[in-house]
Amino acid sequence: MGVLFIMASEKKIGTGNRREFVRLKIPLAERIASVVIIALLAGIGIFIAIKGKRFDPNLYNVRTEALRSTSAAVVGKDATARSLTDSQPVSSETPKPAADKAAGGEENSAEGGMDHSAAAPKPALKHEPLEISHAGIKPMSPTEFYTADNLFEKIDGRAPAYQSFNVQQMRCRSFNVIAATGSYVDVYEFRFDNPVDAFGMFALERDPKGKPLSMAPDGYSGEMGYFYRQGAVYVQIIASDVKPETMAVAKAIAENRAKELPADDSGLAGRRKLPAEGMLADSVAFIPDNAQGQSALKEVFQAKYKFDGAELPFFIMVATPDVAAKAWKSFQNFCGKYGAVEILPDVSGGKIFRAQVFGKWKVVYQRDGELGGVFDAEDGAKAQAFIEKYLRGEIK
Amino acid sequence: MSVSPNHESSVNRREFLVRLGITGALIAGSGLAARKLWQPKHFVPGFEKEKGLQLRSYAPDISKVLPSLAIAHGMEHEKTIRAALAVLGGMGRFIQRGDVVVIKPNVAFDRPPALAATTHPEALRAVAKLCYEAGAAKVIIADNPINSPTGCFLKSGLTAVVSDMHLDLLYPETNSFAPLSLDGEVLKEWTFFNTPFKKATKVIGLAPCKDHNLCHASMTMKNWYGLLGGRRNQFHQHIHSIVSDFALMMKPSLVILDGMNVLMSNGPTGGRLSDVKRMNTIVAGTDMVAVDAYGYAHLLERNLDELTYIHKAHERGLGNKNWKETLHKEVQA
Repeated sequence: MGVLFIMASEKKIGTGNRREFVRLKIPLAERIASVVIIALLAGIGIFIAIKGKRFDPNLYNVRTEALRSTSAAVVGKDATARSLTDSQPVSSETPKPAADKAAGGEENSAEGGMDHSAAAPKPALKHEPLEISHAGIKPMSPTEFYTADNLFEKIDGRAPAYQSFNVQQMRCRSFNVIAATGSYVDVYEFRFDNPVDAFGMFALERDPKGKPLSMAPDGYSGEMGYFYRQGAVYVQIIASDVKPETMAVAKAIAENRAKELPADDSGLAGRRKLPAEGMLADSVAFIPDNAQGQSALKEVFQAKYKFDGAELPFFIMVATPDVAAKAWKSFQNFCGKYGAVEILPDVSGGKIFRAQVFGKWKVVYQRDGELGGVFDAEDGAKAQAFIEKYLRGEIK
Repeated sequence: MSVSPNHESSVNRREFLVRLGITGALIAGSGLAARKLWQPKHFVPGFEKEKGLQLRSYAPDISKVLPSLAIAHGMEHEKTIRAALAVLGGMGRFIQRGDVVVIKPNVAFDRPPALAATTHPEALRAVAKLCYEAGAAKVIIADNPINSPTGCFLKSGLTAVVSDMHLDLLYPETNSFAPLSLDGEVLKEWTFFNTPFKKATKVIGLAPCKDHNLCHASMTMKNWYGLLGGRRNQFHQHIHSIVSDFALMMKPSLVILDGMNVLMSNGPTGGRLSDVKRMNTIVAGTDMVAVDAYGYAHLLERNLDELTYIHKAHERGLGNKNWKETLHKEVQA
């Protein structure tokens, strides 16, 4: 800089009557300072370049105490620790870990529960504590809330399965059973973006031995709990044991939640149309899109049926008549491309085709906005008989 | 400095080049000086390089006579675990008088024991009892659950066992963690639940056998996941790599796989008794890769070919997935 400045001083500045301004002397201190500044700038540049090349974030751990002043208090996963407030002798002797205390022992006073969704980027859902009016229970803990983003903090490796069905929020709470010392019931409510997704997750975890429930549209009871979908919520009531007192309370809670949660079956028309007769209850599944490898088959419900000694996979999609007709035609074209297709006579207003593709049989119908059929059947005649009986209303 | 006809302070070409050379030399010199003075320690406030600890090996000496893998079938936890340990030469082979033993159960969730998502309290009771019978001075129970520690230990029934048997239950606290260094596939530097191991002379892994949504199965290797701190869920992206790293991280005295009740589906949390299958088996051994290989094929009843982390660990020489090639014995309790 000093050199350049000296050179600049040789240039005449000004024209006409103005006096020429020329710096005749550059002080030594100024020259030294300019050299030092250049040297420093160059040094900083080189340092940054070297440092940037060599920095590996994996080699450094964050020293959290240094950042403490910049962080907001995080409410931790300490709700279940509140079980210590229960009167059981074991729990009263157990020290509460400092980690829990540090994580924020206060209840979410505004909402009456533990908010685990503070860091979630999505808009917060309404945080209503899980209150259940029943004389036989006593809350062990405040309500815990989780979002899709931090659900792993409660169910760890199981969370991705719920996220794949667009879970929005989970709230849970534990209740002691007053009549059975040491027994408790856990209540989980997984709220999805719509009833269809709630059903999808429910179906994925279905207990094949579960007994159907009447309290909710889709549900069953297991040996230690109640599981059902009500609206967009997948409810799990899990008892700590199979004592009659515990299971009675679990049932009462299940009934309470089924009654309190709003009913909503939107998008589940296909599920309602699946006939109950001969259905293998644990086989009901929801396929959001690309069912049977067909892009036209979306939001499909399917189940397996016992029919005439065979096990037949059957699916239903409900759409507008136009969409259903196009999907039926598209499916027929696909089958014709890879196998032999036969158009069968209409039955009760339903168009039907039968196809043998890769050695398996498909019998597919379309009636108004309903598209369905048997697929991957070993016996084409039985598949056809099933569809014809269904269309005539003989399988309900 | 030469003087031009018009300006006293102007410079000639030679002097300009000299000055340019001096300036350049100063710049280069300062760069070299900065390079010389630069220290690798990162200086950004809030961050610093930490030298992590490395766990010692707790593994027993290799025996050419005694089996390294025992499979016992029975109806009761204690009887079956005793039978398995007897095959291996008794608990005395692993625990000596005065030992401080850390038992690492899997208490990841606040689930009741019947759902088989956590180490069964009767399994813990039996192993702790065997440790004391072998002369252990102290038995420490430790895990860093994904849920609240007190809730998990209480609901899984382990707090009751700890209380009954006067075991030392160490909950993870803020100052319980220290950085760990490992030359793992993905595990390099990470915060580790270190307090239980400060005075430990022996380590036993006591894991349930269960289905896992992400890595197919959670058994003795996956059990060590519970010793990591921090936002460990980020390892879910490399789940098979991290699980195989655990065979490098921990060289335990003994691992025991509780296959009395196996969580066959909807793991790792479960939630229904229908997910649980009674298999009445305990597998114990010094090679957790072999133990898990048996567990996956014969308790979860699945094809071992699909369990990537077992193959990774085997290929890295951390154990033998071909459990039949190891010195093993199967007994009825």
